[in-house]
Amino acid sequence: MILQVENPVVEVHDLTVSYDRKPVLWGIDLTLPAGSLVGVIGPNGAGKSTLVKAMMDLLPTGSGYVRIFGQPINEVRKRISYVPQRESVDWDFPASVFDVVLMGRYGKLGLFSRPRKADKDAAMEALEKVGMESFAKRQISQLSGGQQQRVFLARALAQNADIYFMDEPFAGVDIATETAIIELLRIMREQGKTVIVVHHDLQSAAEYFDWVVLLNMRLVASGPTELALTQELLEQTYGGKLTVLSKVGDLLRKQEFPSREVKS
Amino acid sequence: MNAFWIILTGSLVATCCSLLGCYLILRRMAMVGDAISHAVLPGIVIAFLLTGSRDTVPMLIGAGLLGVLTTLLIEFFHRYARVQADASIGVTFTWLFAIGIILLSVFAGQVDLDQDCVLYGEIAYVPLDLWITESGLSFGPRTVWTLGVVALLILLFIVLGYKELFLTAFDPAYAAAIGISTSAWYYALMTAVSLTTVASFESVGAILVVALLVGPPATAYLLTDNFKTMLVLSVLAGILASFAGYYLAVWMDGSIAGAIATFIGFEFLLAFLFSPARGILLRRRQVQPVNINQSDSVGKVLS
Repeated sequence: MILQVENPVVEVHDLTVSYDRKPVLWGIDLTLPAGSLVGVIGPNGAGKSTLVKAMMDLLPTGSGYVRIFGQPINEVRKRISYVPQRESVDWDFPASVFDVVLMGRYGKLGLFSRPRKADKDAAMEALEKVGMESFAKRQISQLSGGQQQRVFLARALAQNADIYFMDEPFAGVDIATETAIIELLRIMREQGKTVIVVHHDLQSAAEYFDWVVLLNMRLVASGPTELALTQELLEQTYGGKLTVLSKVGDLLRKQEFPSREVKS
Repeated sequence: MNAFWIILTGSLVATCCSLLGCYLILRRMAMVGDAISHAVLPGIVIAFLLTGSRDTVPMLIGAGLLGVLTTLLIEFFHRYARVQADASIGVTFTWLFAIGIILLSVFAGQVDLDQDCVLYGEIAYVPLDLWITESGLSFGPRTVWTLGVVALLILLFIVLGYKELFLTAFDPAYAAAIGISTSAWYYALMTAVSLTTVASFESVGAILVVALLVGPPATAYLLTDNFKTMLVLSVLAGILASFAGYYLAVWMDGSIAGAIATFIGFEFLLAFLFSPARGILLRRRQVQPVNINQSDSVGKVLS
């Protein structure tokens, strides 16, 4: 079930990525509609992060191409933003929360120019949006996991981009942060932005996203959540692993009796 | 006057090294600085053999090229031969340094360079090599002028490239995503390290360069949580070590470079013990988390 759309925001054509001659992604062909919240879902090692990084041309790709807003990625860098995995940076770095959020303005500033008042205001505004304004001067090593994630999100928001790539923004964060983030993502979608999220939790996927990409080295499905997130396609994605299948059962039960309380 | 020139030389080297060292240690690449400071040797010798003079500019170019080649080789072995990063650093710089040593010994007759001088340097001789114009006017030691220009260049590099250097050190993946070339800044930084190394090698030697590249930044890292403060503190620590090292050496009648390096180690030890932020004896009490009502903050997301 791979659905292609007209006038896509992201178009991936025949993309293959290998690490050390070992292929991680095989012939990915997909298009994503504008203004949607897209979940990239699959088991560990399925190449979810790799797909997102390859879309932004952060990795050498074997074959294929990616177009964003119908253009090569380097033409539209100023319109894209990225929220890397929290663990990818050193949180003992001598920087304050505000320093990190201000980085979101660096791309627009260009070479040799310093952040102006407007940039500082934008950074502060972004911090308010994630409810972290009282932490602006705080050293980043003193933040909890959820707070780190909010800071990363604020940095992306300060950029005011049109498309956002987020790598596991919900991993290891508290419920309050998870709710705050998904709330923000929905508002961004309403403003016509496209958000592509690498996600590992099947249970919340159906509720969070309106477009789903199922991935396990090959593309299993890409389509609206209600069409793509089916038991059959999930089994194909997860290869019928027992523990996962019981999770799928859970998921289907939850669809019948929607409840939000149970979250591990 | 000699004391003044020697301390000034030490301070200029300390300024260059400390500033660049801050970026190196935060990128976890302190040992790349070590590698470059040794691997530039063949570049210096080849530049000398080609031009036949000990002029500063060809040497800086030769060393700069070798510095970049070193980082390229380290990257290459690490990425394509899949050797561990530290092993790749070790193999690359010992090999290049050895080639430099062979070139030195084979062409010893033609090369006015000395192995001991390269490794240990002799800062005490700085005041002897004066820059004297044809009309007989003396402008002071030649090294001070070279180092002064290099220090200015490095200061300019860090001021102009501050935000890019800061971002690529902290989060290179994000930098690349928003269109800042991480490799360009990486190689620019490595070229700056090479320049510093070669400008300072004949006065202070490769070993003191390594001590100054890592020691003062590591000391400053223990003392502050703010990056700009860290840059300033590490320069101050380096300059203080030049002063104290000089007088320590005079008092003991020993090697100046050795005394400076010893003092750097002493500074680090003091910071390790007594730093308010991270010292083991006076550790500041952890700041209590600000009490914000997190469910409230959800309400005011985006306007």
